[in-house]
Amino acid sequence: MTTIHPDQITAERLAGLSRGPVTATPAPGTGDGSLIDDPAIRAPLVLNNRSFKEVTDIICGYTENPPPRWWFPVFGVVATLAGLQTVFILYLIITGIGVWGLNNQVDWAWDITNFVFWIGIGHAGTLISAILCLLKQKWRTAVNRSAEAMTIFAVICAATFPGIHVGRQWMAWFLAPIPNSNAIWPNFRSPLLWDVFAISTYGTVSFLFWYMGMIPDLATLRDRAHQRMLKSADGPKLLPFVPIRVDAIRAFAYGLLSVGWRASSRHWHRYEAAYLVLAGISTPLVLSVHSIVSFDFATSIVPGWHTTIFPPYFVAGAIFGGFAMVLLLLIPARELYPNMKDFITLRHLENMAKIILTTGMIVGFAYSMEFFIAWYGGNKYELYAFQNRAFGPYWWAYWTMISCNVLSPQVFWTRWARTSPLAIFIVSIFVTIGMWFERFVIIVTSLHRAYLPGEWGMFHPTLVDVMIFVGSFGVFLTLFLIFLRVLPVFAMAELKAVLPQASPHEHGHGQDHGQDHRRGDDHGHDKAHGHEHSKGGKH
Amino acid sequence: MSIIDQCPSTAENSKSPEKRRASKADLAQRDRVLNTTGGVGGAKVWRSADEYADTREFRDFVEREFPSGASELLESSRRGFLQVMGASLALAGAATMPGCRQPDHKILPYSKEVPEEIVPGKPLFYATSTTIPGGGAEGLLIETHEGRPTKVEGNPLHSVNRGKSSIWAQSSVLDLYDPDRPGDPVFNNPVRGKVSASWDDFRQWANDTFAKFDSTQGAGLAIVAQKKSSPSREFIRGEMLTRWPKMTWVSYDAVDSDAERAGVIAAFGEQVRQVLSLDKAKVVLSLDRDFLNGSTSGEPHALVNARNFAATRRVTGKDDPMSRFYMVESAFSITGAQADHRMRLAPSQIPAFAVMLAKELLNGVTGNAAGLLEAVRAVTVPAGNGIDAKFVSVCAEDLRQAKSGAVVLAGPTQPAAVHALCHAINAALGNVGTVVKFIPASREESADSSAQLKDLAQNLAANQIDTLVCLNCNPVYNAPPDLFGTGGFAAAYAKVKNTVSYNLGLTETGDASTWALNATHDLESWGDTQGADDGIAPIQPMIAPLFDGSLSDLELLTLIISDNRADAKPDGYQIVRTAWKALLGEKDFDKNWRRSLQDGVVPGTARDGDKAEVNFASVAKQMPGLSAFIAGAKVPTKDALDVVFRVGHLGDGRFSNNAWLQELPDTGTRNVWDNPAVVSPQTAKAMGIEPESDTAKFPEGVVVTLAVNGRSIEIPVWILPGIADNTVLLTVGYGRRVAGRVGDGVGFDVFPLRNAGQRMAQGATLAKTSRGFPVSSTQNHWWLEGRTALVRAVDRPAFQKFADETVEAEHEIYGRHKETLNFAERLGELAHTPPNVSAYENPYNLGKVGPDKANLDAAGKPPAYSTGQQWGMTIDLSTCTGCNACTIACQAENNIPVVGKKEVAKGREMTWIRVDRYFTGDDLDNPGDMLHQPVACVHCENAPCEVVCPVNATIHGPEGINYMTYNRCIGTRYCANNCPYKVRRFNFFDYGVTKFNGDYYGRDIVEKVSPERGGVTGSNVHNKLNVNLIPPRLRQKLDEISRMQKNPNVTVRSRGVMEKCSYCIQRINAARIECKVNDLRDSQGNPVIPDAFLQTACQQACPSESIVFGDILNLTSAVSKLRNGTRSYALLGFLNTRPRTSYLVRVRNPNPALVDEARKHAWENPFHHGAEHEGAEHGGAEHGKAETPHALVTPRARRDGESSLSLRVLSSPVGAPISGGIGHGAHA
Repeated sequence: MTTIHPDQITAERLAGLSRGPVTATPAPGTGDGSLIDDPAIRAPLVLNNRSFKEVTDIICGYTENPPPRWWFPVFGVVATLAGLQTVFILYLIITGIGVWGLNNQVDWAWDITNFVFWIGIGHAGTLISAILCLLKQKWRTAVNRSAEAMTIFAVICAATFPGIHVGRQWMAWFLAPIPNSNAIWPNFRSPLLWDVFAISTYGTVSFLFWYMGMIPDLATLRDRAHQRMLKSADGPKLLPFVPIRVDAIRAFAYGLLSVGWRASSRHWHRYEAAYLVLAGISTPLVLSVHSIVSFDFATSIVPGWHTTIFPPYFVAGAIFGGFAMVLLLLIPARELYPNMKDFITLRHLENMAKIILTTGMIVGFAYSMEFFIAWYGGNKYELYAFQNRAFGPYWWAYWTMISCNVLSPQVFWTRWARTSPLAIFIVSIFVTIGMWFERFVIIVTSLHRAYLPGEWGMFHPTLVDVMIFVGSFGVFLTLFLIFLRVLPVFAMAELKAVLPQASPHEHGHGQDHGQDHRRGDDHGHDKAHGHEHSKGGKH
Repeated sequence: MSIIDQCPSTAENSKSPEKRRASKADLAQRDRVLNTTGGVGGAKVWRSADEYADTREFRDFVEREFPSGASELLESSRRGFLQVMGASLALAGAATMPGCRQPDHKILPYSKEVPEEIVPGKPLFYATSTTIPGGGAEGLLIETHEGRPTKVEGNPLHSVNRGKSSIWAQSSVLDLYDPDRPGDPVFNNPVRGKVSASWDDFRQWANDTFAKFDSTQGAGLAIVAQKKSSPSREFIRGEMLTRWPKMTWVSYDAVDSDAERAGVIAAFGEQVRQVLSLDKAKVVLSLDRDFLNGSTSGEPHALVNARNFAATRRVTGKDDPMSRFYMVESAFSITGAQADHRMRLAPSQIPAFAVMLAKELLNGVTGNAAGLLEAVRAVTVPAGNGIDAKFVSVCAEDLRQAKSGAVVLAGPTQPAAVHALCHAINAALGNVGTVVKFIPASREESADSSAQLKDLAQNLAANQIDTLVCLNCNPVYNAPPDLFGTGGFAAAYAKVKNTVSYNLGLTETGDASTWALNATHDLESWGDTQGADDGIAPIQPMIAPLFDGSLSDLELLTLIISDNRADAKPDGYQIVRTAWKALLGEKDFDKNWRRSLQDGVVPGTARDGDKAEVNFASVAKQMPGLSAFIAGAKVPTKDALDVVFRVGHLGDGRFSNNAWLQELPDTGTRNVWDNPAVVSPQTAKAMGIEPESDTAKFPEGVVVTLAVNGRSIEIPVWILPGIADNTVLLTVGYGRRVAGRVGDGVGFDVFPLRNAGQRMAQGATLAKTSRGFPVSSTQNHWWLEGRTALVRAVDRPAFQKFADETVEAEHEIYGRHKETLNFAERLGELAHTPPNVSAYENPYNLGKVGPDKANLDAAGKPPAYSTGQQWGMTIDLSTCTGCNACTIACQAENNIPVVGKKEVAKGREMTWIRVDRYFTGDDLDNPGDMLHQPVACVHCENAPCEVVCPVNATIHGPEGINYMTYNRCIGTRYCANNCPYKVRRFNFFDYGVTKFNGDYYGRDIVEKVSPERGGVTGSNVHNKLNVNLIPPRLRQKLDEISRMQKNPNVTVRSRGVMEKCSYCIQRINAARIECKVNDLRDSQGNPVIPDAFLQTACQQACPSESIVFGDILNLTSAVSKLRNGTRSYALLGFLNTRPRTSYLVRVRNPNPALVDEARKHAWENPFHHGAEHEGAEHGGAEHGKAETPHALVTPRARRDGESSLSLRVLSSPVGAPISGGIGHGAHA
């Protein structure tokens, strides 16, 4: 131990053998990790003063131990939904797009609504992992892994819709720039093609980011499985009559996935560098993807779509909806999984609630600006499009959107709501509904009454519309449940870095930041320490 | 041809092995010879080093023709050959298992005796003709592909058509290929029930049945024949009556107007037919006569009227004369939509109007007419009938001023006395011989259908009829019930011993007959027709009867009077020739015959018409009756409604199984696949029977019980703005029970309500039921929403004042140079479009400089669309009546599928050219105008659809046409979303290829949608199997017979692809080839298609010639003259889409005496744009000021020349009363 650190206590802590220093006073403030009024006092990022080993045990335990009792029935339900989606998609492809409620006036409806909805949800993950990483927001470590996973699953759900919404799905490969003898290329002027590139880039980078971040943790899982194999000759078998041990499979699978990670300093160095590079690449992507998705509408000449406000408005909306979805997933998870509340504290929830409040108001501002410009611009077609949104046949959709997106987050002005998981959960449901309706309102109400009143129509969804959308939730949740079951749900390595004991110089005063800070001044410290310290102590 | 025979089976028994080997050697020898001597100037010619070296391997290679191994079979043993063949057969067997089978292909090769004139792939056109419902005929020109008629056009040489055609003529080709056409006669065996029989069986039966009439002189035989003006049939009828003088012949027309005929007798003492020359008319007054529309009024001269009337409405310059048209009508017809002044009036009140008018108009007449004036004065017109006396007097004054240029027309709803009075008024106006002419009516036309039916009914009641033949008619369905006692005609018919029905499709009559004979279509048989102007035209077959053995009507009648019916093979060709010889004389007969077959008309038979003397005294005698009528005709109330029976697209029901006509939107309501009872919004509101809102998924009409003439039916109600209050508009021809898969049970049968000869009834009652019925409509929205710049209309005084005035736009619009705005453009947005200068140069903007080739770009290329031929179209809103002929012509030409009622309800109709219909004004009950605007793809030069298509499926051609590449389209539908005109149509299902659900009517929604309101839930009678559950490739494909109609030059689109108007690109390309073959060049020597060389399908059909197509760069072409004229504007042009189709402003010609001050004020400044803010109620008192409704932006707006921020794109050009401005629908 002494090789790790000259100080015995610190060395033990670094080795994960002992907890952080226990101070005379318990955790300040509410004790549940929520923020407190005194800016000088900072709530801990991990509660219950966990040691490194405990962190590893808890997080690896989610995949190593049998799943909680609720897991299988819930999985059964969502997997059935996912299967139903497949059935309805097959029906759609076999029969024709006409099984949806679309028509010649409203040529896009739930298909593209769902697409934009899911793509928007996919934004929170990368925002948390990339932008918050670059901004050195330590609290992100508890939620980034699951948020990134959610991103990827949302992108998968989203990518389904442009694929199946075309009339001839079997010809969708025409979208790919494949050289051919007729020299026919895709139309590079079309925003739909930009979508293809933007989403595939985003999906790829998000996946790489997620996967690369997981490599150290996958190696941990591999090593633990391997250790268990070495320790005892028997263990749970794959099936009673199959002489293959689960740990062997785990060791093999995680071994494959962890691509030879040995946690050498060089590995860590490369890892950190690559992580930073990917964070740098992802950050503009967070902004660009939904901007490009918004170009589908903004570059058109449809009143209600042809708006320059769309890119920032869509990005804000995406973050808004994305965080709501993160919360929708994590609040039940932290309730249902043992010890998860230690990592996802009220502070995390509160931070995210604040982001929802902020982005919700940006979105609300955008709604009002649209109306202002529609009036100020003097173009009556434009003005009508917006009047029709609010007072036309789809008024209920518009006002659902307004109440869910603009009004419901306003409860987050109160501390009570921000720190009440139930309240946050309920608001998140509203926000998710509201964001779906936002896309529905933009798409359907703009199309159904465009320029020529002679060609006005209505859109009425069909069972296939509904089932494919509901089924996409099934796919999403199925993938997320599998993720919870087999992959490290938290970034263990990063999480340990925000534990107090990760700062070797903070002798026994991890919780007493104010004092620690003063002490730091006395001692003077090297750059790394100062850096670490300022993260812990900056308010 | 290869010397080596590749087929072992033929190799075995063809030539001897020696001979084959010898020829192989010959080949090698010949190759060498060729190689050494065949070159230029004797030099050796070689293609490769091997060949040059002429190695043995190379020679072998050449000799083998195919690479090594390919012809190895030749060398194999018999056993080996059998092995290989066995394996191949086994594989082939496996390949033919279901699922991996190639579809069977049937080809019809012209392997021998190719007719000299046939070039495979090139259509031939033959002239023929057909009769139309309501009398008269149309001369047609049929496009045939390899002997298969695919498209019907009007015959340019025919005096009625002049190249145009009605929707009935256009759609008749679909009747030919109706898959429900019975293929064999059906005999109702008294013992075994209905059995399929043959024509030979019928011959045998006919021999037994008709022989006895020789002894009775025809007594006991009755023939009920559809009225048809055919000299040959008339000839045979004469022969029959000669042989069997006691035979009964009923000239039957289900929707006859007895009143019109009686009016003519009263006025002229004999049957004459009125022929209008509306091109000479200056002032027209129509009393409920829909003279422009053959398909809703049975107007045999509608095509002529539309053409001539349009000629008086088409103005190009400010000094062009223009007629003025007053309409007094109960419905809102397309003719009424053309009116400058329109009064809606219940049909029972129109006689009062006629009398009021006559009193004014005849005032001061002398001579014979003075007696009439006395009689007219004696007629008392009760007050409070809602007739605007000012309208009457102004109208009378206008008519009097126009003298011989004025005409008053009475419609079929009016009693005989009104018709007679109108004839007298015309005579008094002095227009007989100019606008109105007369020709003697044919026997068939003047036959009184009702009276003859009445006689027949008496004979039937007395059991005096032994054999009854129904020829091309369906009296069991549509005979008036009042003549036949209890059970109507059907009961009387059932009692007749022998009944024969001869009809093209399935009919109720056929179903009830002893013999149901399958008729031939006019395109399959010989015959002739006589048009409304007496012009005779031949009917010649385009194709052999699709069902072997069936006889034409002429042949059937000939068979009936043959001596030896069992062996009779009557020949239609000879029958017509015989009849014509009697008619035209023997001299030069064959020459004339061939000439008339070639031209489709018999020259010299069409008549111009003569004068006819009105017997004023006789008309005066009608007046007491009219007085009694007027006294009895109380103003209809909601307890005693007026009912109007009108003909719809289905005629008297004979076109029920024609899906094109079923899906053709009705005028005004735009309903398809149904005939709801139509009432005015006020009436519906008063009675609580308003239809469901237009935002419902399947909007429903309230089902009511409608009782009139002592009988009642149940029918849903729909509303139409602008029809007379407390008047119910009923459309006949629907509700067929036995019509085929398309027509069965579609709509509601209103014939049971109607008495013989009746077109209008009084005293109807209407009781609401608790049920609803879904009604599909292609356009549920009534208003323009203040967007008057879309359909621009202007009053003539304003047009005359400003037509020649152009202004420079205040700013450069869209780029490089300033625009000169014509009159039409000043009426719309473009005059107010803010400067919209892009940072980038739009290459398409260069094209605005026109054909100036000096204007080359940096690369030395001329600007886009400034060279070659650039196609464009103009649509004249002044003359377009909204008759839908363009829609159906396009459907026939471009293989556009029918989608069915349910799909239309969902908004998925496929028509490439649709007619948008709008009402103006702020009163839903009495709208100002009904505006029609045909909209098809406008082929934008700067097309929004092209930019957004991710796969380049829709691109721009060098001639300015927006191409749609079906092969490339994957169906993202982005183009349709971004199309501001919404003209793109998506194949949501396999509409074009499979039979869609086998049920066009959507019976599942009809029966399922409102179970709580009495519908039948979950009916599986009609939907045995949901076709959606069957994979498309296993679905029932179109019948072979239905596929025969398809135009081979237009792709039949699969599901999942977008489609739209192509400007009939197949016609352009055919014309291009034709012109290149003939080496037609312009003055610069470039290949050119001359102007008017080709017509698009819609243009060719348009009866009023409102659609013009051609090269817009050719300054002498008709289209460029119109496009560059003062009335031309681009629809939504301010979007910089640069459409190639431009619209011509509608010019109205109101009488200043009937126009209020506000409207007159607008004549001074038609470009005023505050109208939609002030609305009509403010009467334009604030004209010239209050330009800015938004005080916030006033300073800026002023600086920008009041165009940038105060852009009011939805201005009302003439201060036309606009309902509530934009957003009206939201608040309504």
